[in-house]
Amino acid sequence: MHLYSVSGLAVASELALPGLTALTADRAPPDVVIRSGAVPESLTAPGASGPTWQIAGPQFLLRIPDVARFLLIDGREIVHESEPGGDPADIPVFLLGTAFGILLHQRGQIVLHASAVRVGDKAILFCGPSGAGKSTLAAALLKRGCPLVTDDVCAISIAANGVPMVHPDGRQLKLWAQAIGRLDLAASRGERVRTRLEKFYVEPDRAHAGALPLGAVYGLREARPPWSAGIASPNTVDAALLLRRNAYRPQLVERMDQKAGYFHAATTIANAAGIFHLTRRLDFADMPLVIGWLERHWQDIGLLEKAA
Amino acid sequence: MRTVWLASYPKSGNTWFRMLLANLSAQNGTPADINDLPERDGIASARAPFDYLTLIDSGLLSHDEIDTLRPRVYEALARPGAAADAGSRVRFAKVHDAYLHTPKGEPLLAGRKGGDGAIVIVRDPRDVASSLAHHWKVSTGDAIAFMAKQDAALCARPGRLDNQFRQKLRGWSDHIGGWLDQTDIPVHLVRYEDMLTGTEAVLREALVFAQRDASAEQIAGAVALASFPRLQAQERAKGFREGPRPYPDGRFFRRGEAGAWRDELTAEEVARIERDHAPMMRRLGYELAVPARLACAG
Repeated sequence: MHLYSVSGLAVASELALPGLTALTADRAPPDVVIRSGAVPESLTAPGASGPTWQIAGPQFLLRIPDVARFLLIDGREIVHESEPGGDPADIPVFLLGTAFGILLHQRGQIVLHASAVRVGDKAILFCGPSGAGKSTLAAALLKRGCPLVTDDVCAISIAANGVPMVHPDGRQLKLWAQAIGRLDLAASRGERVRTRLEKFYVEPDRAHAGALPLGAVYGLREARPPWSAGIASPNTVDAALLLRRNAYRPQLVERMDQKAGYFHAATTIANAAGIFHLTRRLDFADMPLVIGWLERHWQDIGLLEKAA
Repeated sequence: MRTVWLASYPKSGNTWFRMLLANLSAQNGTPADINDLPERDGIASARAPFDYLTLIDSGLLSHDEIDTLRPRVYEALARPGAAADAGSRVRFAKVHDAYLHTPKGEPLLAGRKGGDGAIVIVRDPRDVASSLAHHWKVSTGDAIAFMAKQDAALCARPGRLDNQFRQKLRGWSDHIGGWLDQTDIPVHLVRYEDMLTGTEAVLREALVFAQRDASAEQIAGAVALASFPRLQAQERAKGFREGPRPYPDGRFFRRGEAGAWRDELTAEEVARIERDHAPMMRRLGYELAVPARLACAG
């Protein structure tokens, strides 16, 4: 068994999960166990279901057709089985992203579809759906010297003193070939995420381990009418919506009756940190401009010292 | 709830048709905001509804794997109570994909389970070529070649993620032929040119096909509010989110005419389009400018 820290949880896995922060000392028992095993094709009497998933009580079944099936039990266990013809090498990426993200929802945790970097001593989150540019922006900031905190999945907990905390786990960035080329990252390009995709792991040259207080959340948008480019503060209602829509799997917030939890988290995050829209053109040529806006914004909200 | 596809090759009037539909429910003569249409995320190839419903990050799937799952998503969207607009009786969804089947042999759009019918909007291919060239900022020759390509597709580049899925189009003739000749769902053919000359009548007939109730006043109102000059005025004033990038240089609502090809295409370009698409042009009633004999010899 391998032992890792994933989103602040101790995870024991039969399968080696490259890149993750290994836990040295055995903590017994682990919070989550990941193992291979028989996974049913369907659950008995599911209470909710979608095109690729079913929920029955504490069990959650997810099927990635022709790749693998995952059974998530009570937020404590993930069983995985390859589908006929599926490549076992494809399991880790779906396990760590989709399956683990759903497990965090199952545990009732606030989990965002976000990538994050460290600025000063705070975590800065960039959220948005697939293709919004989360990983690309994180990679560009990494090149500017900001350590990577997480990619794609970002768990948040509210500490006893009311401070929202982010839990990094050593995930590598996942970037498309185009972004690797445009950001000049070929030297840190690792394995393909899946054999059939032009998407690669990129090993960050600096990463932050250990929980960090949350500094700001930015929802990424493309500058298209009626949205103009820049950084803006939404009102309370829109900030709460921004957070819920950028839950790792927003549908599960509704299905699992967690709207109130996300609303409460939005209030806490808006007060302790800040929730913003970052609207910009989706053009690599604008990246220095966007980073300039962000650096100025971090000075304005006190995350960075103002230049003398 | 019924689902009706608005199926067309790109640059054939699909957006204008959606603007007409959006203005059916306009209140007090205020036109629908072109940047806030109720069904603006409704294109079949949009990534967001797929990810939302399957819980799978489509950015980790190949084009073919996505296509294999797409029918499940359309079934879920068409199911009563599934879509956000479940309250309205007819849900219109734009689609540019050719009528094709998944790698597993199912209709990509899920046949009857994904839609109750399709309004197929077509436009003279000579005007389509001219409009495509402007929209994509490519040469007319490239646009014409694209329209003849059997494996033509949108958003199909490897090594990057587009905000829409790959849409296989086939060539212009086969795109339209595929939609008109499929037998899974009923179709209603709309010609862009007829929309221009008889907008109200075309809209009324399409709504009857879709079983979407609308009064004569609502139809007349929508036609007035979604007139080309008024759409252009909105685009000039605040831009159009679906317009060509970069903003604000690109204009989506450009001429809104039929026959603009006569002063935008060379004789060779016209001849080439007619050579590529003569049978479908005749079937749709688009008169050839170059006599068939010459077109064949060229």
